[in-house]
Amino acid sequence: MNFLKFITKKIYLFIFSFFLSFGFITTSYAIDITIWDLSGRNGQDEFYDNLNKEYKKINPDVNIILQTFENEAYKTQIQVALNGNDGPDVFFNWFGEDSARLARAGLALDITPYANVEGGYGNYISEGLSNTTAVNGKIYGVPNTSVSKYFHYDPAFFEANSLAVPKTFDDLLNLCRDIRAIDSSIVPWPLGNSERWKLNHVITMLNQRVVGEENTAADYNLSASEDELFTNPAYVEAWQKVVDLQDAGCFQDAPNATHPDLTRSMFASQISPMIYCGTWCGGIFNGEGFSDFSYFRFPEVVGGAGAATVGFLVPSGMMVSAKTAHPEIAAHVASFMVSDDMALQAAELMGFMPSNPTKIGEMSNPTHWFNFYVNDIADKTGHVNVLDVLLEANVSNAYLDMGTEILNRTKTPQEAMDFIRQVALEAKAAM
Amino acid sequence: MNKNNTQINSFSLSNDKVSATILLVPALIFCTIFIFIPAIGTIVGSFYSYSLTSMNNWKWVGFGNYVKATQDEYFWVALKNNFIIVFASIVLQVGVGTILAAILDRGIKYGRVIFRTIIFTPMVISSVAVSLIWLIIYDPNVGILNAIVKSIGLSTPSKGWLGDPNISIWMIMITAAWQNTGFMMVLILAGLQGVSKEVYDAAEIDGATGVKAFWYITLPMIRNVLIVAILITTIGAFKVFEFIFVFTQGGPSNATQVLGTYIYLQAFNLLHMGYANALSVILLIIALFLGWLQLKSSRKA
Repeated sequence: MNFLKFITKKIYLFIFSFFLSFGFITTSYAIDITIWDLSGRNGQDEFYDNLNKEYKKINPDVNIILQTFENEAYKTQIQVALNGNDGPDVFFNWFGEDSARLARAGLALDITPYANVEGGYGNYISEGLSNTTAVNGKIYGVPNTSVSKYFHYDPAFFEANSLAVPKTFDDLLNLCRDIRAIDSSIVPWPLGNSERWKLNHVITMLNQRVVGEENTAADYNLSASEDELFTNPAYVEAWQKVVDLQDAGCFQDAPNATHPDLTRSMFASQISPMIYCGTWCGGIFNGEGFSDFSYFRFPEVVGGAGAATVGFLVPSGMMVSAKTAHPEIAAHVASFMVSDDMALQAAELMGFMPSNPTKIGEMSNPTHWFNFYVNDIADKTGHVNVLDVLLEANVSNAYLDMGTEILNRTKTPQEAMDFIRQVALEAKAAM
Repeated sequence: MNKNNTQINSFSLSNDKVSATILLVPALIFCTIFIFIPAIGTIVGSFYSYSLTSMNNWKWVGFGNYVKATQDEYFWVALKNNFIIVFASIVLQVGVGTILAAILDRGIKYGRVIFRTIIFTPMVISSVAVSLIWLIIYDPNVGILNAIVKSIGLSTPSKGWLGDPNISIWMIMITAAWQNTGFMMVLILAGLQGVSKEVYDAAEIDGATGVKAFWYITLPMIRNVLIVAILITTIGAFKVFEFIFVFTQGGPSNATQVLGTYIYLQAFNLLHMGYANALSVILLIIALFLGWLQLKSSRKA
């Protein structure tokens, strides 16, 4: 009997404690804001830890939960997640056709109303930058950084061999030839195109330099008439420049079978004297033990329609899911990420080119590459978005495929453009 | 008494039926949720045009997606590649697996377990990990394969092992064979060990030894096991995805595209979900046919 009493008491105690704990759970009011971001950024964990701590100071009931994904996997998973009911509240995106498509499909939240509220993103970033996320006059994202691309080179090698930084595209071709003449086994400019986007960035710049951004605009957004769509012969000329680069010995053999990471290592280990690489590369080279590099812009194409002062720029940042249960808080968190202090932390910890430069002067020991990137981006007269972000999905894929074909010499520049035009016509018809 | 017995029997029979039904229900629920409903959804979706980002905007196209498939150059490339993989897998995995199994069964006296374990080991590694390792081996700049080929005085492909559209699919095949041959070997070895020694003794008296015995005794005796092995390989070859996706993502220039990667490309990169559904239905029909063949031959075996 005593045993039964003992057991009964324990059961009562269990039930009591169960309901007590349930009571605590239901009375505490916590909101989880899940953020999806790309993985692999230096200092990312520390930044998000700080973000959580700092945000709790102004809104103690909010927990910021970070989930990260590898680059290629993210592009697919975010689309699936936004269609489901278990997606993120705030998510990373590149601003271009990808982000616009999510906005048009109603999967991203219109955050225009949250711009100028207390702590809203309108207090921190310029209207021009916000407008890079606009669709039909409504704002759908908070840019927190931008990436650009530059030639990074080894000044010691250039000096030792009396090589000059190229000013024009022809100079660049000659530079490749000169480097091969010094030692034919040196790859002047390693190109890792196994994932197809590396050459896509090069052709983005060549199209700008040769065709000119004013002439490409109507083709890129498919608003040109069917008779004119991608018919400008300068597009073929731009592809021909890729062939010229290959003929000048700039690239290594088999660029389509070479991974981009390997080419970065080739430069960082000073096997190759230059590389066309993004603003994320400085930290990578430094991490691999090479920090005495310098930089130059993509050279001018003499006779081309595009200015040499225009650069490559892909704004990226955060969007808010249309399905979030807490739209106001989610938009506020996205805005808080570009607040003065957090923008400074993003620059210091992750090497971001911050969209809010208010405190950039307060950075402790900025690297030489960070200073260069920030100043040069500010100096440019205009920017072009990269084709694989900017173009309609099918046209973008056609451009990526044709890059591979051109490098493999399985298509001529003219055949490549004929194919791209055909895909563009089909995409336009389907719109 | 007889009447009572019949009643008891029919009662226990109906009890058995109830029990069987109850036991089947969980499996049926899972199959319905994870197989039947998605399959029906895929079939229905194949008659519409829509994308992941326009889930509320389905446009009826009837058999349009199927017609599109017949006119799509890359669909035929993908299908052709699937058949190439089927053929190559049968030769490399089942063929080499059979030879290895025969050697282990009767060709060597010592170290069978060690060899069997070594050959089987790649099978337990994830396909993605295997692909990543072989990516380094095939790398045109630092890969060991280039170094070996050059060291024996031969030239390497200028576009790279995985960058050349003419050879990339075969390089992927070699990796797949490296991983899967061990499994085929173990399967066939099990079949070989079921062949009675007395048959070989009798054949030896009739003058059939070595290769002759293998050709006239072993192969006919393990015919059914071989059929099952071929069908498993064929179905695996139609389902192939990871190797292609990690190695080349279907490139260069769609040269290594297979149905699995092409469906992925259409669904998630090009946003043609309806078309991807139609391609999936075609793949489903092929897989069902192969599954039916496998079931039929397994029963025979």
